[in-house]
Amino acid sequence: MSEPKRLLMIDDDPDFVAGIKAILVKAKYEVDVAYNPKDGFQALKSKPYDLLLLDVMMGRGAEGIMIARKLGKDPKLRELPVLIITGIREQMAFLFPGQAVHPHFVPVDELVEKPVAPKLLLEKVEALLKTAEMRKAKSK
Amino acid sequence: MLDSCTQVLAGGDCQVTTASNGAQGLKLVAEIQPDLIFLDLKMPGLSGLEVLEKIRAQHPLMVVIVITGYATVTSAIEAMKKGAFDFLPKPFTPEELRLIARRGLEHGRLVQQTVALRREKEMLRKNFAAIVSHELKSPLGALQQNLYGLVAELEDKLSKEQQERFGRLQSRLEDLLKLIHSWLRVFTVDINKLKETFQPISVADVLAKAVETVQQHAIRKAIEIQSSVVEPLPRIQGDEGSLTEVVVNLLNNAVKYSFPNGSIRLRAEAQGPQVLVSVTDTGVGIAKEDLPHLFQDFARGHSQPEGVSGCGLGLAISRRIVEVHGGSITVESAPGKGSTFTICLPVAQAAPESSPTPERKV
Repeated sequence: MSEPKRLLMIDDDPDFVAGIKAILVKAKYEVDVAYNPKDGFQALKSKPYDLLLLDVMMGRGAEGIMIARKLGKDPKLRELPVLIITGIREQMAFLFPGQAVHPHFVPVDELVEKPVAPKLLLEKVEALLKTAEMRKAKSK
Repeated sequence: MLDSCTQVLAGGDCQVTTASNGAQGLKLVAEIQPDLIFLDLKMPGLSGLEVLEKIRAQHPLMVVIVITGYATVTSAIEAMKKGAFDFLPKPFTPEELRLIARRGLEHGRLVQQTVALRREKEMLRKNFAAIVSHELKSPLGALQQNLYGLVAELEDKLSKEQQERFGRLQSRLEDLLKLIHSWLRVFTVDINKLKETFQPISVADVLAKAVETVQQHAIRKAIEIQSSVVEPLPRIQGDEGSLTEVVVNLLNNAVKYSFPNGSIRLRAEAQGPQVLVSVTDTGVGIAKEDLPHLFQDFARGHSQPEGVSGCGLGLAISRRIVEVHGGSITVESAPGKGSTFTICLPVAQAAPESSPTPERKV
């Protein structure tokens, strides 16, 4: 069996995180958690991850977006696929006036709304991991 | 004159302050912010009308009653035009003065209340999205997510009955979340924005999607949905998602208010420059007194059959969506016999309407 994929989740709501983590662990993923952007960024720097699950509305606003932007500037982390989990779609539209509801932060990303049904969550995670792998294989 | 009026009005819960000319009066108005002002139009110095204008400019909500000399209807009308609440022609009896004062004060109170309500409404609208999404949606979302998680973890340990209970919990939570979404739609989302992404759509597709959504719900109540599209049906200019929401809404209502084993007719046809979509049920019908309020926010009929729940926003949202499409929604109903809701939507024009105001170069 191949090594389990390692995922990092950054979200400031521990209860919500527990619900997501249960589904992913059940599906044999290894999941680390950070409850704020700072710890999250630290974790990203210290260990390699295959995927980031990111809440965009943390703290006093869209702190998750700052992470996404920082990732885009980092040559190593830029390739990391990101699944954005958001509380409310309308707020996204509000944050990015004039843009589509699905703003692309990083080259490979997807967006789901809270709460997210297990089937959809696993589908998105798998699809993102697959795309990332294909890209990696191509660049080799 | 001042003294006698003061005598008439003072006492009770009135406190009377007087000024003997316009300038002094204006100073007093700014100082004590009275609830009601009596203003003689004929004064030395600053004229009454000038004083009135100044008061209205600085305190637009102030209630001013002008006192006019005998037979000077023209100046009374002039004063009313400039924002006086009423006028009192000289000479007047104490009773007349008291009466008009009472009316003026009452009017002032109503104006203040209206302003406060309007401000509150605006605050509510502005903050609603934030309050609702943070205080309600997040915890409910976390709850739902944990139910999902628990079901996944306990998959092979739960009995059939326990799994069903989890399923019901999830669907109750989902209903709540949907409800919150519709509140957000009504209070915060600018439905006019839909127009920006309008495109030619097929009404038949909208109907098919809507039926698919409601079908399960109908089957559970043994209700048959008979759908018919009279071809050819021209395309309309619109937003497929939200129009589907409207038809789903109407169908859901029809199912909700139908008797088991009933049937619902869904029909689309072209009629001149319009496409008509109608949903007819043979359910409980709508009482005549409820009809005028049906499409208003939070309107629900007085005579609800047992076991029916809802918040009364569905039709209000539907109406807004239809109106954004340049259409209209109407209802005909007979209590005990059933209702027909009809949506009229304008057919897409071959050429788009003349583009909005061209940029003007100076």
